Amino acid sequence: MESIGVLMACPMNPYLEQELDKRFNLFRFWEYPSKPEFLKSHSQSIRAVVGNTFAGADAELIEALPKLEIVASFSVGLDKIDLPKCKEKGIRVTNTPDVLTEDVADLAIGLILATLRRICECDRYVRKGLWKKGDFQLTTKFSGKTVGIIGLGRIGMAIAKRAEAFRCPISYYSRSEKSDCKYKYYPSVVELASNCQILIVACPLTEETHHIINREVINALGPKGFLINIGRGPHVDEPELVSALIEGRLGGAGLDVFENEPHVPEELFKLDNVVLLPHVGSATIETRQAMADLVIGNLEAHFLKKPLLTPVFSGKSVGIVGLGRIGSAIAKRADAFGCPISYHSRSEKPNTGYKFCPSILDLASNCQILVVSCALTAETEKIIDRKVIDALGPNGILINIGRGRHVDEPELVSALLEGRLGGAGLDVFENEPEVPEQLLELKNVVLQSHVGSDTVETCKDMADLVLANLEAHFLKRPLLTPVLGDI
Amino acid sequence: MSQKQHQQEKQEQLPQILVLGPPLVYKNHEHEFAKRFQILKPWESSLPIHLFLSTYCGSIQAVLTSGLFKITADGVLCHLPSLRLIVTTSVGLNHINLHECRRRGIIIANAAGVSSEDVAELGVGLLINVLRKVPAGDRYVRTGIWMTNGHYPLGSKVGGKRIGIVGLGSIGCEVAKRLEAFGCRISYNSQREKPSVPYQFYSNVCELAANSDALIICCTLTDETRHMINKEVILALGKDGVIVNIARGAIIDEKEMIKCLINGEIGGAGLDVLENEPLVPSELYAMDNVVLTQHVGVHTNESVSDRFEAVVGNLEAFFSNKLLLTPVLNY
Repeated sequence: MESIGVLMACPMNPYLEQELDKRFNLFRFWEYPSKPEFLKSHSQSIRAVVGNTFAGADAELIEALPKLEIVASFSVGLDKIDLPKCKEKGIRVTNTPDVLTEDVADLAIGLILATLRRICECDRYVRKGLWKKGDFQLTTKFSGKTVGIIGLGRIGMAIAKRAEAFRCPISYYSRSEKSDCKYKYYPSVVELASNCQILIVACPLTEETHHIINREVINALGPKGFLINIGRGPHVDEPELVSALIEGRLGGAGLDVFENEPHVPEELFKLDNVVLLPHVGSATIETRQAMADLVIGNLEAHFLKKPLLTPVFSGKSVGIVGLGRIGSAIAKRADAFGCPISYHSRSEKPNTGYKFCPSILDLASNCQILVVSCALTAETEKIIDRKVIDALGPNGILINIGRGRHVDEPELVSALLEGRLGGAGLDVFENEPEVPEQLLELKNVVLQSHVGSDTVETCKDMADLVLANLEAHFLKRPLLTPVLGDI
Repeated sequence: MSQKQHQQEKQEQLPQILVLGPPLVYKNHEHEFAKRFQILKPWESSLPIHLFLSTYCGSIQAVLTSGLFKITADGVLCHLPSLRLIVTTSVGLNHINLHECRRRGIIIANAAGVSSEDVAELGVGLLINVLRKVPAGDRYVRTGIWMTNGHYPLGSKVGGKRIGIVGLGSIGCEVAKRLEAFGCRISYNSQREKPSVPYQFYSNVCELAANSDALIICCTLTDETRHMINKEVILALGKDGVIVNIARGAIIDEKEMIKCLINGEIGGAGLDVLENEPLVPSELYAMDNVVLTQHVGVHTNESVSDRFEAVVGNLEAFFSNKLLLTPVLNY
């Protein structure tokens, strides 16, 4: 694998760098004074990008790397990666979930205690020799305070578990209420902020959550309230936060992240009721090693054609033959299951967000579930032949809701019998109602009797259309759904 | 009778207490105390303390004291012949001559259990702040180094660490409960093993240290525990080990600990208490792996308020011949 070009977006971890260097042809992006020059010379050899919370893979970089196959992020957050662009180009993305959950949750509690009990300020005070001069001011206790968490994912839940040990009642805000959850749900962030004393940001950064902490939320949290941010800087309207802290409209804040790291608003430096950290949520020796091992593991899995360890697009990859009305409807549904979608069509369709494959063999090689949904024509007869079936492979699944003659049926049967194809879901057959007997014994096959549109509602709609077309014709009105136009 | 005379008479009917210190709990609730008791305040007098006591305190039965005022046999107790109760706003009793109190049958009530959470959470806070380098990180940001340097040294993970709790009393238990939620493994050393707790017991503090990644000191200061955390224990903890002290400074051999910190024989320390407060050994100032707080374990609004309730509760119980709330048994 030493010839595979891997581009590291910025310095992030010496151990990771060293291990990548050992295995791949590593390019350190920051070492090249002219990025455009670098890309001109090396873009054809780069097949992977390793990014993190500071630098990832934006649209510009992705476009500049035509051979890019995978982006492996040394983080769990994906806000620096253009995910739709990756989906569109069929580029795989991995991140480092779970291994850093505990560290980030630990730090959230550490920040809460440091902020409420003023540990850093006290430490400064003692080091200045001021202990002799008198008592430190009274602080406020953490145990028992109401905690509100924005985003109850892995990190949010880990924070809740720790806060519960401090006797804190927990409430949360999430896009939707979670069933089986013992914590109190609030349908809006403002309501959550009005009803808790310590508000913690623990959700992913997306367009919707940008500036989720705004003036209204800060005011609702109030002069006795505390904000803890272990999410992303842009979650918070930073100028609003700064003025609220200076004016005393907010009790205090513990911040691990900022809108424009490493820039931190200087007004915060003079404040005693804030604790500021240089984005160290997952910065422990143990966790950074585990994250690095995940990045390496994912890259190796990809290039050795094994399953990825922590793929972001976690659904199975779906390949659609024919992206017409039916194909698009299938794509939309599969997308909702988190499946990366690719398709083959006579010509590429603009702005679908899905990856186009100019050859069906290409499509079959790069997906796990192949769905036939094109029209049956002379070209598409037996479009699913031995070559395509072999490309789909022993872990692949064929779904046919097109026409039986799209598939070379004897080839399909032998592939299934010999285990060269993983399974099939078939609604249509070459000679309906005859179905090859050998299929009847197989457990990895589902057979339907051409029922694709067989619902009460749809059959009625279809019948109505037939009747309406006939009436239109004989009443000399325009046909409703002509296939060939009125001549 | 005039309004003033009426008020004065009412005042004079209130039970008398002598306040020594005065403790913060008293200072922050002065009006509340005045409504319930007649207060003798030696600090407002120009008389030296022994003279104040011998002049005015002959019939005093109850004393309210801070944890810092030294209640000696010769300087204080001998001038209080009628003394039956000492209420201290602290948990520790090191400031009181217990031998003399025992001899005279004086009851002592303290603030045990009242602010265990406040102290325990500070202990947890100090541990996390040392392992994850929070104050050092905060300094890094405030001094603008992040802007220019961009590379901050990695901390150490809290979860999964083996925590050795020295003294599994009320505070020690609250510490254990909290750290369990971080995935830490808890063991302890105590005067006696506690069969009802799920944690591993070590009868010897050195063995505890050898099997821990961090020690949290939560025990009382007694003759046995003075300098109990000595060179042997510190070295057994090891070069990545962290000591957190939220009990009393004198439980640790401070000179030895500082030497070990300087030589890198121990990983770091979070100290709320020191042997000779408020004197701080200057060697500690330069250490980034040390977090220092100035004995603020119970320095919260909630603790002052809770301790006020406990103190008043004890005093009122005493004066109405009821059972005290937090008497110290077998001191």
